[in-house]
Amino acid sequence: MEKHLSEKFYQAMKLKESRYPDRKALILPALHQAQAEYGWLPKEVLAEIAQYIGVHEAQIREVASFYTMYNLKPVGKMHLKICTNVACCLRGADELVDYASKKLGIQCGETTADGTFTLSEEECLGACTTAPVMMANDDYVENLDIPSLNQFIEKVKHER
Amino acid sequence: MPKCTIDGKEVEFKPGENLVSVAKRAGVEIPVFCYHPGLSVVAQCRMCYVEVEKMPKLQTACSTQAAEGMVVKTQSEAVKKGRAGTMEFLLLNHPLDCPICDKAGECDLQDNSFGHGSEYMRHGEERRTYVDVDMGPVIQKNMNRCIHCTRCIRFGEEVAGIHEMVAIKRGNNIDITTIDGKQLKTEYAGNYSDICPTGSLTLKDFRFKKRAWMLQKTATVCEGCSKGCNMEVQHEGNVVYRCVPRENLEINKYWMCDEGRFNYHYVQDPTRILSPMKKSGDSWLVAGWDELLPSLKSDTATGDVLFLVGTDLTLEEMKSIREAAAAWAPHARIQSFGTPGVETSSLDGPKDTILKMKSKTSNLKGAEKLGIAPLSGVAKADSVVVFRGGRAELPKIEAKKTYGIGVFFERERNVFGVLLPGLSFLEKDGTVVNHQGTEQRLKRALTPRGRCKAIGEILMVTYHPKTTEARV
Amino acid sequence: MSDNQQTLFVQHFWNDANRSVDYYLAKMGGYESARKVLGGMAPDQVIEEVKKANIRGRGGAGFPMGMKWSFIPKNSEKPKYLVCNADESEPGTCKDRQIIRYTPHVLIEGLLIGSYAIGCNHAYVYIRGEYVREARLLEEAIEEARAKGFLGKNIFGSGFDLEITVHRGAGAYICGEETGLLNSLEGKRGEPRVKPPFPAVSGAFSCPTAVNNVESIANVPHIIRMGGEAFAKLGKIDKSGGTRLISLSGHVNKPGVYEIQAGSMTLRQIIDELGGGVWKGKKLKAVIPGGSSSPVLTADEIDAVYDVEPLMKIGTMMGSAAIMVIDEDTDMAKLLLRITKFYAHESCGQCTPCREGCHWMESLLHKITHGEAKPSDVDLLVDVAGNIGGKTLCALGDAAAMPVQSFVKKFRAEFDAYAKGHKRHA
Repeated sequence: MEKHLSEKFYQAMKLKESRYPDRKALILPALHQAQAEYGWLPKEVLAEIAQYIGVHEAQIREVASFYTMYNLKPVGKMHLKICTNVACCLRGADELVDYASKKLGIQCGETTADGTFTLSEEECLGACTTAPVMMANDDYVENLDIPSLNQFIEKVKHER
Repeated sequence: MPKCTIDGKEVEFKPGENLVSVAKRAGVEIPVFCYHPGLSVVAQCRMCYVEVEKMPKLQTACSTQAAEGMVVKTQSEAVKKGRAGTMEFLLLNHPLDCPICDKAGECDLQDNSFGHGSEYMRHGEERRTYVDVDMGPVIQKNMNRCIHCTRCIRFGEEVAGIHEMVAIKRGNNIDITTIDGKQLKTEYAGNYSDICPTGSLTLKDFRFKKRAWMLQKTATVCEGCSKGCNMEVQHEGNVVYRCVPRENLEINKYWMCDEGRFNYHYVQDPTRILSPMKKSGDSWLVAGWDELLPSLKSDTATGDVLFLVGTDLTLEEMKSIREAAAAWAPHARIQSFGTPGVETSSLDGPKDTILKMKSKTSNLKGAEKLGIAPLSGVAKADSVVVFRGGRAELPKIEAKKTYGIGVFFERERNVFGVLLPGLSFLEKDGTVVNHQGTEQRLKRALTPRGRCKAIGEILMVTYHPKTTEARV
Repeated sequence: MSDNQQTLFVQHFWNDANRSVDYYLAKMGGYESARKVLGGMAPDQVIEEVKKANIRGRGGAGFPMGMKWSFIPKNSEKPKYLVCNADESEPGTCKDRQIIRYTPHVLIEGLLIGSYAIGCNHAYVYIRGEYVREARLLEEAIEEARAKGFLGKNIFGSGFDLEITVHRGAGAYICGEETGLLNSLEGKRGEPRVKPPFPAVSGAFSCPTAVNNVESIANVPHIIRMGGEAFAKLGKIDKSGGTRLISLSGHVNKPGVYEIQAGSMTLRQIIDELGGGVWKGKKLKAVIPGGSSSPVLTADEIDAVYDVEPLMKIGTMMGSAAIMVIDEDTDMAKLLLRITKFYAHESCGQCTPCREGCHWMESLLHKITHGEAKPSDVDLLVDVAGNIGGKTLCALGDAAAMPVQSFVKKFRAEFDAYAKGHKRHA
């Protein structure tokens, strides 16, 4: 089977192997590690992970599709996930989503044509006391408002 | 034995038994979907609710073990409301496919809806739909009908040993499928259709052929291998439409393999020999019993005669061959044949980790019990008579005269000079002995086709001195 | 009263640098409790102290931690596991994040003591996938502890070994449910299991397991340091010892994570004194007292003491101690739609009432708030919620049903206004 994942992936996974009594417990860490490298999880990568762990390909697919953080479709370089759950909703998250959608010219769930931004609504991120909150790739951006959201998007645009 | 009370009746139970099983023995049928005695308990469908004294919430009977002194009610108002609630939820997205669905008439969803659900629909929203995948030659998938009981997923994982049927996504969108349109690999795929409580997984082989309530059902035994899985053959008008496994906890539990399940087709194969025939030059001619049987008698009267007994015949058939030989052809050698490489039961053994055995005939042990030694090498004699039920594999034969008595097909007839059509396993009663040494009864489901005769009858007519020539 | 509160955590929640092991050793009496325990306390004694402390589980269920630990069999052929539930996904809750990013060592020390108490040599911290930075900080802290000899083999020369592994989740609220968490740890879909068997008998990898919340475990070093009785006395209310971390959010002037001695303040006092009252000079309309799963309270109902039993008595729950304050301008039907959408999205899909019912409730609320519903649809909504609550395999069904039932009961007029066509979703 052609290998899509790097040596780095296999080395990182090797360090984790002794930490679990059952090899299947490596599935979530493997998916995180592969996604960190690839940006998303194409079928070939999932098949390779299945081979590495030693399970049927379908088992990896069923696990990966259960969790919202695993991207089974490609995403933009900057994935903006704006929380619209209770605390953030109470403090204006819906307006922020509308603003981002108009500014980027895409609906929730879509990616900009140049592949820079993907916009999503998100469930509670666990930072409710600094609502509204969004996740920008791995980072939390808290106490969000329209000016800071605008600034953030502009900064990312210029860095590209 | 400890006791508990179900609907006022005292019932004994074995420690560890769940309430569904205990209630069944008390004659109380608790409706279920996800529960199956051959699979792990998940208590997901929430249909098997019962009220247990001292417990405030309704309990799922499948996951509740009976306890000494437990008082269970299966017909209280709360239970009825709970079941009606579950039925309502299950029917929210279920399509009204009954008129075109194979499962109608044997569908758990229909039965439980009729018994425990409401007549009215309160849901007027758009229904959830799925795109179906092709799962291969055995199973037809219709995901819109699925009620997510996950029996199929558990079967694949726990019984078939291949985790190929999976649930992807979560919540209301769960899709139960194989991935990437891959076909089911398991050789036990037919069982998916048996366990599915709706028409979501059905047999392609049975699709649109016959309504379930029109089928007559005969309990018999599979002849596919020496396992002897208990089977039910379902037929109407002397045509077999489907075979399904019967429960036997000592032998096949609740399952059977696809090879055994679809084995019945050969009985109705249009190339099966159904009339007495003889070879004439390059062609085959239908002939009369009165013409062929006397030549069988004279060809086996003297010389080196070999009777080859298929290990796919019943004990009774094998005995009648031995008795006929003893009485009228005592010089004849009698040897068995069946599956190459598995001539004796010591060479027999499991072919996979589930049910299949190496011997592809049902009565290898029976032949041994009767003291019939296996053929080794080529079948060489002046006259060879092959008695066969339909599964035994023909060995290489070198003889001046070759007779075939039993089930044969056009594709293999040229090795013979005369073919006398016999009965398949669905057309006769008899006894077979499986690999564990258990004797089981075959039960006749079909009347003989064409001019097929039982082996015993053929032998009697051939050899009995008082027989006069029959007029065709 | 908010004055004179004795607190154990929040005084350290202000500077990133406080997370270092050096700060913990110097300023928080770091690892002294663990030293005491491993230096001569029997595991049973540790569990006794925790029982005396009257510490209720701080994840949401409120089950006494000492009792939970005592369910783990003393002798077991299989290894035993202590699993820390850092999934923190109950909407409104963000207290465990504070502990992990500012004082991770108090959690590590708690895991050390807890593992010793139940006989576990490998503990797991299951942390929600979105806490990427926090997971990294925790792993760094674990390495710091290992470098100092607080983890690994023969800790403090006691002969006791412990490894801690941080295991990241990947975005599923249901993995906060203890058996869903265990399935996720094992590499499966995070679907809750049928109980029995309970985790104490068969949990992680089919071994006896105790699953505890971050805050619960983080209190253990304090319990050992001050003794169980003193810890219990910190709580001002029967059966509830120690302090509680509260996530206060929504329409307040000062949202934040606060700490109070258990049962020492009413809901009103928390909102007014700690939270600075309702923002923008608005009037209070409603309060969700314990995470979105808890039944909502009206502005008249907030004089209850903020703790487990007093809140139960008024028909709601303390849950994960996440208070969300709602002002007079809020559309309750729209808010309920958002809450119900959350549960429908997070339902694992195993059991019929939750899988089908949550989505149905969402559709009904969508219809209602878009002015497409009849008045009887509001009754239907409540009836559907009644067919879900108490009828599901795990508590997510109840969590979805309770907001629907309480919102409609207490703010019926708003729903009726939509259904009768007087109001339309903007």
